[in-house]
Amino acid sequence: MLNKTFVKLAAPLAISALALTGCGSDSGGGGDTIKIAFQGPLSGDNVQLGTNMENGIKLAIDQANASGDYDFEIEYFPTDDQGQPDKATAAAQKAIDEGVIAVIGPAFSGPADTAAEVYAEAGIPAVSSSATRPDLTTKGYESFLRAVPNDSAQGAGMAKYFDQATDAEKVVVVDDKTDYGVGLADVAEKELTAAGIEVVRQSVPQKTPDYSAAARSVVGQKADGLIYAGYYEDAGPFATKLAEAGFEGTTMSGDGTNDMGFVKLAGDAANGWKLTCPCTDPTQEDATKAFADDYQAEFNQAPGTYSAESYDVAQMIIAQIAETGGAESDSEKLLESLRGVEYKGLTKTFSFDDKGEFKNQTIYMYEVQDEKIGYVGNIDELAAE
Amino acid sequence: MSLNAFWDFLVLGVVLGCLYAVIAIGYTLVYGVLQLLNFAHSEVFMFGGFGGLMALTVWAPAPDPSGAQSVLYVVVGMLAGAAFGGVVAYGLEKVAYRPLRRHKAPRLVFLITAIGASFFLYNLAGKLFGRNSLSMPDMYENKRVFSFFGAELSVTMILIVVSAVGMMIGLDYVVNRTKLGSSIRAVAQDPEVASLMGVNIDKVVSRTFVIGGLLGGAAGFLFGVNNKVVYTMGFLPGITAFAAAVLGGIGNVRGAMLGGMLLGIVETLTVYFWGEEWRYVAGFAVLVVVLMFRPTGLLGERLGRTA
Repeated sequence: MLNKTFVKLAAPLAISALALTGCGSDSGGGGDTIKIAFQGPLSGDNVQLGTNMENGIKLAIDQANASGDYDFEIEYFPTDDQGQPDKATAAAQKAIDEGVIAVIGPAFSGPADTAAEVYAEAGIPAVSSSATRPDLTTKGYESFLRAVPNDSAQGAGMAKYFDQATDAEKVVVVDDKTDYGVGLADVAEKELTAAGIEVVRQSVPQKTPDYSAAARSVVGQKADGLIYAGYYEDAGPFATKLAEAGFEGTTMSGDGTNDMGFVKLAGDAANGWKLTCPCTDPTQEDATKAFADDYQAEFNQAPGTYSAESYDVAQMIIAQIAETGGAESDSEKLLESLRGVEYKGLTKTFSFDDKGEFKNQTIYMYEVQDEKIGYVGNIDELAAE
Repeated sequence: MSLNAFWDFLVLGVVLGCLYAVIAIGYTLVYGVLQLLNFAHSEVFMFGGFGGLMALTVWAPAPDPSGAQSVLYVVVGMLAGAAFGGVVAYGLEKVAYRPLRRHKAPRLVFLITAIGASFFLYNLAGKLFGRNSLSMPDMYENKRVFSFFGAELSVTMILIVVSAVGMMIGLDYVVNRTKLGSSIRAVAQDPEVASLMGVNIDKVVSRTFVIGGLLGGAAGFLFGVNNKVVYTMGFLPGITAFAAAVLGGIGNVRGAMLGGMLLGIVETLTVYFWGEEWRYVAGFAVLVVVLMFRPTGLLGERLGRTA
């Protein structure tokens, strides 16, 4: 008797259990693994910036997978463009061929410009947490979203700081001839001129083998300030040579230089440099402290520029995948949902206008002191003081 | 800008020119004995930079070194750079070029091998040392500035000029006054006759590579002090120094020195007059113009003779 009831009860249970597990292993073989790509410089000269972002994304994915909140597994797929526009299309194609649902990146502006078209054709959302050149959102790339304030905001922030927080009357603006540098320098020049500050514009191409002459010509301008629009690999030697040539004005650079790599290269010549960034310092703000600790534990280094922002973007994408059906979601639904998103991340609230431009345009200021990059604060508040 | 500023830039140009000149010697020596454009020399230079950096990382300079310590650090760094450069150049000749010579490969094969070796070496360096830019540790207080007829000189500038001029004088002596030098010149003039006269060609070629490598490696160290060390640092200075060797007359050691100096000055003055982005335009325009009127370079391709 007892045995019979047991069988009666147990059989359907066993069958349904079998069916369930069968279901699970079926889709586990492919169905509910969703791939998210990251496109950025994973080798080459600016690898540090790429690694900062990659680690943030990996952390977000690992945490999402471990949390058990989702009925799908996220797989990370890195695709390397070395930060070079000419390698970006191939890198994007690699991600598309892999069947990713969305891509975080391209990390740099030049590659974003060439790859956004490819992603748009494939209908894959490309959410960059760091490509800040202003015109990327005005070219009609249909699947490109920018999850970071653009260089107009950064250039305007620099100009505002020079105008209101210093007595500068003449500023030298130096770009590095890259898409990013020229874009940032253009805005800074325009805004400084509008504020009535005299601007001298110079170009020093990336990878110049000797910065002595460039530094000397900056000193020769007898300006009160300098804005360098470029990346830390070149800002390092440039800062060294500026110090050697005896430049005494206020020196400022943007998020491309906001990396410990800059300080390592320039040594004590980096002291006093002011670095703007649309990024907050995760170790300073309360909201991101836990993230910074996790990051430190996982990768044995402090989070770098855009680590926290990339983490946020990855989490936002994962949350939106869950929202649009989890394992059933696809790139089209996801893009639709991302466009209308109002996601509160650790660093800021993410939302996009109809061009894919980021709505929140706050810029933060950092300063190098004692060979460390210190967080100063929100630039609007600093300028108002 | 004033005459003063012009003088400042001229001095900077001489400093850069000294570096180019020392690298150019490596191209010209090898061309002299083998008629080979050794494009991998730019990588020998790069390895020299890493060699110096490694020595000074293992044996890290103390903060606030005394004068004697500073000199010691610089000497150690430069010797390590030169040794690295010499070893890489020696290996390059042994592995890449000697088998080709043994099989009497056509000239084009040498050229392609040189380019291939260059790619191999710089990617190897990227793999070994990482792809981040690195800077040399502080070996001396670089703030101190000397005045030289109004131009301000930093310790780094003086270091570069003094050591480069020293190397050039030393090399000139070796090539013109020693037995090794005369065998190099003999091989450059006529390898067959030289070997009939009892000169061991393989040995001479190998030593020529090593001499070029020593100079290139030391220049790599100096370049790293002046700028930074990174696995791609060889490319642009390498191309420029090659142009300098051609400008002065390839195969001609004093020509390479003159060409390097000239290009360094032209490039730096270009920055003064037109801005940094015209640097290479002007440098290579000078090369084109000179070659139009003197196809064999300023001092002529006097293979085997040095003046």
